[in-house]
Amino acid sequence: MATQATTRRGRPLATPVARRGAPQVAVYLGLTLALVFFLFPVYWMLSTSIKPPIEWLHNPPVFFPSQLYFRNYTDALFDQGGLKGLVDSAIVSVTATVIGMAIGTFAAYSLARFKTGGTNLSFFILSVLFMPPVAIAIPMFLFWSTLGLVDTYVALIVQYLLFTVPFVTWVMKSFFEDISPAMEESALVNGAGRLRAFWEVVLPNARPALVATTLFAFIFTWNEFTFAVLLSRGRVTTLPFILPTLMESHYILWGDIAAIAAIGALPVVIVAFALQRYLVRGLSFGAIKST
Amino acid sequence: MRLSFTNEALLSVAPSRFIGLKNYADLLHDSLFWSSLLITLVFAASVITIQLGVGLALALALDRLPRFQQVIATVLLIPSILSPSVVSFQWRALFEYDSGVLNYVLRLLHLPVQTWTASPKGALWSLVLVDFWQWTPFMVLLLFAGLKSLPHSVLEAARIDGSSGGQVLLFQTLPLLRRVIAVAVILRLIGAFKLFDIIYMLTGGGPGTATESLPFYTYVQGFRYFTVGYSAALSFVTLILITVLARVILGYMERPIGRSLKAAVDVKAA
Repeated sequence: MATQATTRRGRPLATPVARRGAPQVAVYLGLTLALVFFLFPVYWMLSTSIKPPIEWLHNPPVFFPSQLYFRNYTDALFDQGGLKGLVDSAIVSVTATVIGMAIGTFAAYSLARFKTGGTNLSFFILSVLFMPPVAIAIPMFLFWSTLGLVDTYVALIVQYLLFTVPFVTWVMKSFFEDISPAMEESALVNGAGRLRAFWEVVLPNARPALVATTLFAFIFTWNEFTFAVLLSRGRVTTLPFILPTLMESHYILWGDIAAIAAIGALPVVIVAFALQRYLVRGLSFGAIKST
Repeated sequence: MRLSFTNEALLSVAPSRFIGLKNYADLLHDSLFWSSLLITLVFAASVITIQLGVGLALALALDRLPRFQQVIATVLLIPSILSPSVVSFQWRALFEYDSGVLNYVLRLLHLPVQTWTASPKGALWSLVLVDFWQWTPFMVLLLFAGLKSLPHSVLEAARIDGSSGGQVLLFQTLPLLRRVIAVAVILRLIGAFKLFDIIYMLTGGGPGTATESLPFYTYVQGFRYFTVGYSAALSFVTLILITVLARVILGYMERPIGRSLKAAVDVKAA
């Protein structure tokens, strides 16, 4: 015992590998189980999307499709309205994201630097995000039907702006508050206008936050369900609207729906992977700073 | 908001008029309101507890992984970024009685098969399972980011001074993670109180009213009975509840920081 380092109570000091609590085996086991559990439904969707019809509802379930049946995808795109859904989703979510970013970033800068509206305005903006969508669904529906704009791109885009603008404002505000005003001030001293200082000095420095918020505004608008259903009568059909309508039919075409679901999931997963470094900040509304 | 004080109803010919607090008084006598509140609270409490527990365990595990941490965190996150439509579809397939994978696994284990979303008792727990699946990864990522931002010197110091892994976790890591945990819990709380789309697609509030949560009941009142004023009152009550609960959690999470810091110092001194 004389040579071995011990703690005050005489227990030997653990070796570096084991000294952080549970054994490393548990770490690997736990993470493997987690990966299987959290990815299985995704795998199931993907595999169903390439299963021939006979295997869709097979009992016992078919874990590995016997052939690559890509007809599901062509059927989904051309017969089930998947292509239209994809186009509509893209139009609505890209427009709402871009406009939301433009308005929200300026609003955030204003809130962060000039304390526009005091503390209450920014909290009010945040509270819009906490509201259950159902809560404003009826008033908004009445509003759009009075204007005769139900089932138009404009209605859905403006509706989404009601969420993306506050979201972008809130996250970007926390970011602008973090960066020191010194740089813009030196630009201002050197003769640049406010707008130019913002454009050429602040924005390039805000790139990580801009990417993160764009990513999340896009994911939100791409996925949104409540208003996609509420404000659609069959002309503007985003992917989240199409899926449940297909599931309500008498004979559920599992493979076709799985194909549409996979198509709907793909863009979001791609951007999330491409921009994984920026995920945390957007996810936590900027409450946790990272990157 | 103004609507909640009127008797506005889409099917009524009479113009809406101001009825003061009558909608709110009616709420108190509405057994469906109370049951929906109970359902929402049970749902929120169970998903938050399980997600926080499992999320924390996974985040700690991830933190100890020698490599590929970021990749695994991102892959894990896929459920949280999927559309509720996609999620509902995936689980509809898994919940299928005859050909669903869940019942297949139960049969393999010689356990009784379930009807999942179709049974009055099981429907809510099926929704808890789906929510657990969708949002635990989100919890993991937040907590993992929180763990990464901790000052490692403090934790190392505690180790060197001889506290066990459990002690470090309890007295150092968790108190330091307090803010992150509060944020995660509040975001999930809001999510649980807002949850509508998945319920709409998976159970439709049923069987009966077994999964009629507050937002879903708001929807039923507004879109099935067209009692818009009452529905607005419901959403306002929901909003107040979320705000109060979030305040309570924030207060609870931030108050005892002095005490835990002291505890941390004590551990180091010991």
